[in-house]
Amino acid sequence: MKNIKISFVINGKKEEREIPPNISLLKLLRDHLGLTGTKNGCEAGECGACTVLLDGRPVYACLVLAPKVDGKEIITIEGIGEEGKLHAVQKAFLAHGAVQCGFCTPGMILAAKALLDERPNPSRKEIEDAISGNLCRCTGYLQIVKAIEASGKGGKGEV
Amino acid sequence: MPLKGKVGESIPRVDAMDKVLGKALFAADFRMEGLFHMKVLRSDRPHARIRKINTERAARMEGVVRIFTYKDIPGKNLIGIINKDQTVLAEERVRFVGDAVALVVAHSEREAERALGKIQVEYEDLHPIFDPEKSLDSTTLIHEKGNLLYQRDIVRGDVEKGFSDADLSIETIYSTSMLEHTYLEPDAGVAWIDEKGRITVYASTQNPHYDHREIVTSLGIDPSKVRVIQATTGGGFGSKLDITVQCFLALAVYYLRRPIRLVYTREEAYLATAKRHPLIMKYKTGVRQDGKIVAMYVDILGDTGAYGSYGIAVAGRAAVHATGPYHVPHVKVRARMAYTNRPFCGAMRGFGVPQVAFAHESQMDLVAEELGMDPFDIRLLNAFEPGSETATGQILKDSVGIKDCLQRVQEHSKKIKEEKASPGRLSGRGIAAMWYGIGNTGMKNPASARAELNHQGMFALFTGAAEIGQGSDTVLCQIAASEMGIGVEDIRLIRGDTAITPDAGATSASRQTYISGNAVRKAAARLRVMVLENASEFLHVPVKELSIEDALIKSIRDGKTLTTLEEVAARCKHEGKKLIGEGFFDPPTSTLNPETGQGIPYATYAFACHMVDVRVDPTTGEVDVLRVVAAHDVGKAINPTNVVGQIASGVAMGIGQALMEEFAPGQTGSMREYMIPTVKDVPVIIPIIVESPEHTGPFGAKGVGEPALIPTAPAIINAMNRALGVKIVNLPAKLERVMKMVLKGSGAVG
Ligand code: FES
Ligand code: FES
Repeated sequence: MKNIKISFVINGKKEEREIPPNISLLKLLRDHLGLTGTKNGCEAGECGACTVLLDGRPVYACLVLAPKVDGKEIITIEGIGEEGKLHAVQKAFLAHGAVQCGFCTPGMILAAKALLDERPNPSRKEIEDAISGNLCRCTGYLQIVKAIEASGKGGKGEV
Repeated sequence: MPLKGKVGESIPRVDAMDKVLGKALFAADFRMEGLFHMKVLRSDRPHARIRKINTERAARMEGVVRIFTYKDIPGKNLIGIINKDQTVLAEERVRFVGDAVALVVAHSEREAERALGKIQVEYEDLHPIFDPEKSLDSTTLIHEKGNLLYQRDIVRGDVEKGFSDADLSIETIYSTSMLEHTYLEPDAGVAWIDEKGRITVYASTQNPHYDHREIVTSLGIDPSKVRVIQATTGGGFGSKLDITVQCFLALAVYYLRRPIRLVYTREEAYLATAKRHPLIMKYKTGVRQDGKIVAMYVDILGDTGAYGSYGIAVAGRAAVHATGPYHVPHVKVRARMAYTNRPFCGAMRGFGVPQVAFAHESQMDLVAEELGMDPFDIRLLNAFEPGSETATGQILKDSVGIKDCLQRVQEHSKKIKEEKASPGRLSGRGIAAMWYGIGNTGMKNPASARAELNHQGMFALFTGAAEIGQGSDTVLCQIAASEMGIGVEDIRLIRGDTAITPDAGATSASRQTYISGNAVRKAAARLRVMVLENASEFLHVPVKELSIEDALIKSIRDGKTLTTLEEVAARCKHEGKKLIGEGFFDPPTSTLNPETGQGIPYATYAFACHMVDVRVDPTTGEVDVLRVVAAHDVGKAINPTNVVGQIASGVAMGIGQALMEEFAPGQTGSMREYMIPTVKDVPVIIPIIVESPEHTGPFGAKGVGEPALIPTAPAIINAMNRALGVKIVNLPAKLERVMKMVLKGSGAVG
């Protein structure tokens, strides 16, 4: 199959790539752009570890065909904060013990960010809805929910 | 300013920053120039002889670099953590669907995948066995030594006499399902030749030092030629204790001297890795009219599948824990493990104790109901206390917090009103208790650690203890910081690299806080003494008048700062002295008598009690877990937020175990078919930390990783039994099974 050319904005930066037309966004991110913060837990839309934001909406990157992101904006875990300038959700995850093995963490944080961008003070039910497609085997979700609640209320993530 | 991270403080985890940034390097994230890719050909037969493996066509496929079979293994083709019965690559026989037969290395994953299909394996099918009972009677041998992997007996008192003294005895047969760990990160690794010429494997693992040993024997080379580095590991729960990708990668690098990568798909992680042992448990409990248990007879049969893995440990631990945390004078237990041609079962969070806890806690409720006793009262009446004797004849000394746990939960049960049943809504409350021995059962299981102050005055901690998400990195740093009088931020942690870290044993059996914690504490204490001795020399102040606080050397008399760690380090450099403290700890245990099981299996035990409220919709059979109150005696919470994290973690997994999880070999191939709890399945969790200090533990600590899981499922089942007026004897209590029970009304169902 012939490669196709796509252009998109990734973490605020414009990019142009020639890619095989049948690869997923997850592959594009991890193998072509070297953005390995986005995880592959199943490659079948079942775990949520690959969650990224596409035009602000959370998607499973493993289910999106890469050519579909042509002309769109993607945000991954690498694009929302850095040491010293963490996103409120990242701070809250640290403060509330919401990270254990960390494999679900990038996807969780992006799902939470998408929610908070829309609803700065989400209810518990809204939080649960927002991350119900993101599996975590380690935390039992308790401290994750707490962290998202805290980043909503304080806006800073620290309590 | 006082430095952060002392024992007891809930500091953020030391590994969390990289993880929230997406920078933590899991094995699949590792990139290298000129990487080759590997795929594994696996048996599609449950039991067959291999007549011939023809790799010629596959080898000619585009992109293929090389194909490996057992013939290429230069050392011993036999692995296994306890008993060695598993081949790295199958020789004359495959024993389950998923056994590894050949490896393909190619320029890309796709090319490797394509070539797999071109390898021709000629099989001659053998009679497959899928049932442990049938296996023991069968003349078909799965392994040469026979189909019984192991038997553990425990005999205490005179069980016949015990039952004749009993006013009531209750007999029930329980069974549990095969479970899949479903850690979020599929197994993965990358291997290459490092700058010193060593075969280096960077892998997702719970036990890098064990991996190292297996690679060395399978290649038959000098240990110094192999190095295993633990990658950031995305959960394990026991499964990543077995060898997965490590020996495959090392073998290929041994020949090709090129970097190679192997990442399991989710399907492969389900197909090829260890599972939780399903157990059949016959229980007979004899009790007096006043509620005192006088006799217990337990017969356990487990299915270890195709290989031993941790089967022996699971049988041993299940037997030792069979009574639950209760004093029973007359006990007879037999636990056996049989081979079958199903996926091999290994360690999974709790090693058989979650299974037996389901049985002993169901029995407790049945007894209480027969006698008209309160479930708390009957447990409190029989629960261990300091001075109690266990079924193996061990006298429990201190740190026996089971009564505290029961009482703390009981207080909550009085405060929190029980849900009232309403038409169309049944409800119930259940409790369950547990005990859990920390560390391996009746055998040596030491850990070492090393603490160094380098010549710049920087503190470094070396440990082989694998961090798999449970929090050992943070806990060990906090222990070192407290002992050394420095802050956690002053510590450079070097973990899980067999070339430079001392062996800490497996991250399993909830042992790292207790065992590595002690080793780290000793290492740090030795280093502290060394630093103070050196300071004393040039300060001309006696050692006993010096202390390290806030990373400064101070006078005990007036608290004045006398010198710095940098100064001591600089002087030692000048004199050519090294500042290194080493620590070692092996819990005081004894081997169990082979006939009677008498001995000291563990140095200390964790205890817990959970209370669960459920609501059941009898029209749909849907079970709603509303609330879990979870009290855990952890000895000492080194990091309370971490302890709460472990408790919530265990509760969620327990919900899965009680209500949804079941691995059906041949059918369960993806996460769609193996449901684990989502955020919506997890109820309100009220964690209660009980601290009954263990004098042999670091700062009094024991462990919590596995205990957190154990009481949840039995408590849910006890709550459901009450709500529905039934007796559930099989796990999981899935929707369709619950419906059947509801339709049938009461009675033993499962
Ligand atoms: S990797 Fe995309 S949902 Fe699991
Ligand atoms: S932290 Fe391990 S899967 Fe969520």
